[in-house]
Amino acid sequence: MRDTLYLAWRYLRYHRIKTAILIASITLIIYLPVGLNVLVGQSAAELTARAEATPLLVGARGSALELVLNSLYFEADSPEQMRYAEVSRVANSGLADPIPLYVRFRSREYPIVGTTLEYFDFRKLRFASGRAMAVLGECVLGARAAHALKVGPGDSIVSSPESVFDLVGSYPLRMKVVGVLEPSYTADDLAVFADLKTVWVIEGLGHGHQDLASPEADSAVLAREGNTITANAAVVQYNEITSENIESFHFHGDLAQHPISALFAVPHDDKSQVLLMGRYQGKDEPSQIVRPRDVMNELLETILTVRSYVVAAILIVALATLATAALVFLLSLRLRRREIMTMVKIGGSRSSIASLLLSEIVVVLASGVVLAGGLTLLTGRFGSAAIRTFLLS
Amino acid sequence: MIRIANLEFRYREGEFQLRVPELDVARGETVAVVGPSGCGKTTLLNLIAGISLPGCGRVLTNGVEVSGLDDPARRDFRVQHVGLVFQEFELLEHLSVLDNILLPYRISPALQLDPSVRERAVALAGRVGIGDKLGRYATRLSQGERQRAAVCRALIAQPELLLADEPTGNLDPANKGRVLEILFDFAKGSGATLLTVTHDHDVVEHFDRIIDFKTFYGSAAAR
Amino acid sequence: MSELRVSRALQLGMLVLGFGWLACSQQTGDATPTVTEQAVPLAVYVVNYPLQYFAERIGGEHVNVSFPAPQGVDPAYWSPDPETVAAYQEADVILLNGASYARWVGRASLPYAKLVDTSASFRERLIPLEGTVTHQHGPTGEHAHVGFAFTSWLDPTLAAEQARAIAQAFTRVRPEHEADFRAQLAGLETDLRALDARLATAAARLENTPLLLSHPVYQYLVRYYGLNARSLHLEPDEPPDPSTWRELQELLAEYPARWMLWEAPPLPETARTLRKLGVESRVIDPCGNVAAEGDFLMIMQRNAAELESVAPAASSASGS
Repeated sequence: MRDTLYLAWRYLRYHRIKTAILIASITLIIYLPVGLNVLVGQSAAELTARAEATPLLVGARGSALELVLNSLYFEADSPEQMRYAEVSRVANSGLADPIPLYVRFRSREYPIVGTTLEYFDFRKLRFASGRAMAVLGECVLGARAAHALKVGPGDSIVSSPESVFDLVGSYPLRMKVVGVLEPSYTADDLAVFADLKTVWVIEGLGHGHQDLASPEADSAVLAREGNTITANAAVVQYNEITSENIESFHFHGDLAQHPISALFAVPHDDKSQVLLMGRYQGKDEPSQIVRPRDVMNELLETILTVRSYVVAAILIVALATLATAALVFLLSLRLRRREIMTMVKIGGSRSSIASLLLSEIVVVLASGVVLAGGLTLLTGRFGSAAIRTFLLS
Repeated sequence: MIRIANLEFRYREGEFQLRVPELDVARGETVAVVGPSGCGKTTLLNLIAGISLPGCGRVLTNGVEVSGLDDPARRDFRVQHVGLVFQEFELLEHLSVLDNILLPYRISPALQLDPSVRERAVALAGRVGIGDKLGRYATRLSQGERQRAAVCRALIAQPELLLADEPTGNLDPANKGRVLEILFDFAKGSGATLLTVTHDHDVVEHFDRIIDFKTFYGSAAAR
Repeated sequence: MSELRVSRALQLGMLVLGFGWLACSQQTGDATPTVTEQAVPLAVYVVNYPLQYFAERIGGEHVNVSFPAPQGVDPAYWSPDPETVAAYQEADVILLNGASYARWVGRASLPYAKLVDTSASFRERLIPLEGTVTHQHGPTGEHAHVGFAFTSWLDPTLAAEQARAIAQAFTRVRPEHEADFRAQLAGLETDLRALDARLATAAARLENTPLLLSHPVYQYLVRYYGLNARSLHLEPDEPPDPSTWRELQELLAEYPARWMLWEAPPLPETARTLRKLGVESRVIDPCGNVAAEGDFLMIMQRNAAELESVAPAASSASGS
C-alpha cells in the first residue's frame, strides 16, 4: 500500500499542473454547494439574528415589513407614527416592558434613534468610551458612525433637516456626543442614539427659548396680562442645549400624544407574550403587534428559494465536472498505456498496477474533499463575521 | 535454462505465425538472436518471459513451465527470475533514476523492498556510472545513461535470466559497448543466462551462440 | 522526496487539520457570573425629602436611599449635573413625586422601568397651576405652559397614597421582603393618620378665618382642610418692595386676613411691618428638602403646632 501510494504521489507531483487543476475542480464542486449552503444559512441567521433578538414590535397599522426594517435596521422610511401613550399601555398591561423608538431624523446619513436607556441593555451594547446620555441634547454614537464622523465624547454633531424645504418643521439641533459604543456588527454601529425627548426637540415639539420675563425678550412679547405673557414667532429658540439654557427647555401639550415610530415589547414570559399579542387583535385596533422573526423569515423565504435553484445548477455543473474529470483520467490512462505495459512486462502484478492507478484517483479526490472541508470549516468559522461586515457596509 | 518444444504462436491481428519446434539454451550461456525485423524475435522473448502464451507447445524457463502458468503466476515468476531490457529503455518519466531501478520491488508483492535492496541499487548505479544521477528524473539523462538505468532495473532482482530486446538499438557506438559490457559482466559474474535480440551484427561476435532466427525458424507465414 | 517523508508529511497534514477542526469547533461561551442580589440593599434615588423619608421608613434596612440635591436648595427647581443624573440611572428604583415636580426629570434620560410616579394614583386630583406663558411658533401653533401644584405631601392622605406607591414599588423589586415593607408602611400610615387628625382639628377651629400664604405652595393643604387662604409671591429672605406693600394693603382692605403663613421665618423687618398692618406671621415649612433639624413628621408636627397657634387667635378674632 505504501509503495503504490508513493508511486501515485510521484506521478501526481510530476504532473503537478494537471493534478492541481483536478484537485481544484474537485474542491470547487464539493465546496460550492456545501459552502454556499453554509454561507446562505449564516447570512439568513445574521439577517434574522436581530429579529430573533426582538420578541415583539408594536407600531401603527400598516406594512409590517416597513415597521420591522425601520425599527430593527433603521432602513426604510419612517412608518406611520404612534402615540407615546402606547408605551404606558404596554407598561400598564403588566405583560411586557416597553422600549420606545422614534427613528425619523438623520445626522447626515446616520439615523438618529430616539429611545430610552433600556435600549442599550436590551441590545447588549457596551460603551467603548464615555457614558449614556443623561440630559436633553446629549447623544451616543455607534462605533462606525463615530469613526466615520470622526467624533468622540466631548464633540458635537448636528441633526439634518428632513428636507431642503423644511423651513418651519424640524430644525438642526447640535447635540453633544457623550459616549461611543463598542462595535456590535449590527445596524447599531451606524446609528446616533438620543433620548426620545431630544428627538422631540428636533421635531420642534419641545424647545428652549429666552426668558420672556426678561427685558431682552421684549421684542418677542406680544402682550402681558397678569401672569400671562403672549409671545410671537420672533422669540429666540436655542438650537443647542447647553448647561446654561437647558432649564429653559420644555415640552408643550400632553407627552402621551407625542409621536413614536414603534416600541419593542419585551414580554415577561411566553404566556405574557401570547396575552399581549391577543390585545392587539381587535378589528378597530389602530396599532399592530408583530413578531419581527416571522416577518424576516417570510422575507428570507423568498430569497432562500433562489438558493435551491442555485444549488441545483451547481450540482449539474458538478456532475459535468466529475464526468470531465473521469474523461481526463480515462484519456490519461490511454496515454499511459505504454507505461502500464512496461510495468506488466517487468512483472508488475495486476493488483499492484490497478491499485497504483486507483491511488492516484483517491489522492486527488481525497485532497479535494479535504480542501473543500477545510474551506467549509473556514466559512463556518469566519463567514458570519464577513457577512456582518458586508451587510453593514 | 530455456527449453522450447513444438511452440506455435499466431498473432491475433495478422496472419503471421511463429513456429519454434525446438530451442535449448543452457544456464549461463550468452545467446544472440539475430534476424530481420518482423521475424518474431521479440515475440520469442515475450513467450520465454511469459508475457505472451503460445497457441501450443511448451516453454520452460529456469525449470518452470511458464506456458502452463496463469497470468499472476507468470508475472510473479517474471519479476523474480527474469530481467528485461528494452530498446526504448521504457523508463517511467515521472520517477527518479533510483525509483525506476527499484520499480519491480514496488509493483509486485513477490519482491520485498528493504534497505539491502536500496543499497544494491545504489551500488549497481555506481558500477554503471550513474551513481551521481540517482535523484534526477529519467528524462534528464542522456540516451546511454537511460539505458544503463534500465539495465540496473533489469538486474536489481538478481534474475537468473536476462532478456534484452535490441538493448543497443538507440545508442551510439561508445554507449553500445558500455551497455553490452555491463550485461556480460553481470551474466558472467552471476552465472545468469543472457538472451539478446539484436540486428546489430557488430555486437554478435561477443556472444557464445548466435541464432539466425530466419534461417532456423523461418517466417512460416501462412500465405 | 523519500516515501517516508511523504508519508510523514501526510500524517502531519491530517493532524494539523484535525486540530484546526477542533479549534474551530470550540465555542467560547459567555461566562456570566451570577451575583446574589438579595443581600444587597435596593439603591433608591428620590427627588425630594418627603419621598426620602417615606422610602427610609418603609424600606428600612432593605434600602439605601439617596437624595443628591444640596441642602438649602429647593429640589423642585434644582437641576442636577449629568454626572448626578448618571448616578440616578444606576439606581434600582427612582421615586418621582409626579405633578410636574422636579422639571429636570423631563429633561433627563432615566430608565423608564425604574421610574415610580408616586402620585399616579391621584393624577386626576392634582391641582392645576394658574399663570401661563403662551406663544405661537413651530409646527403646533399656539400653546401654553401649564403645570400642577406639586406639594402633594402636605395633604397627609395624599402622602399616604404616595407611601403606598413606594411600598408597592419596593415589593415588586424585592418581593421576599414584602412583609417587612407592609409592616413598616403600616407604621408610617398610622403616623400620617395621627398627623391628619391633628391638622384637621386645627383647621376646623379656624373655620373660615382668612389666611394669607406668602407663596403658592400650600394648595393641597388648603384644599384638603378647606382653609380660606389667598397666595402672594413673597420670599421670606427678601424684603417686599413698596409696590408690594401697597398691593398688600389694598388686598387687606377687602380681605381682612390677620395671619400670614411663611415657608420659612421671614426677615424681622418684614414681620414687623406686617404686624403694623395687623398681620401675624407663622411658619408652615413645606419640607421639600432636608431641614436643619428634625425629620419629616417632626416638621409636619411643628407645622400643625403653628396652625394650632393660629386657631385661638382666629377664634378670639372671629368671636369679637
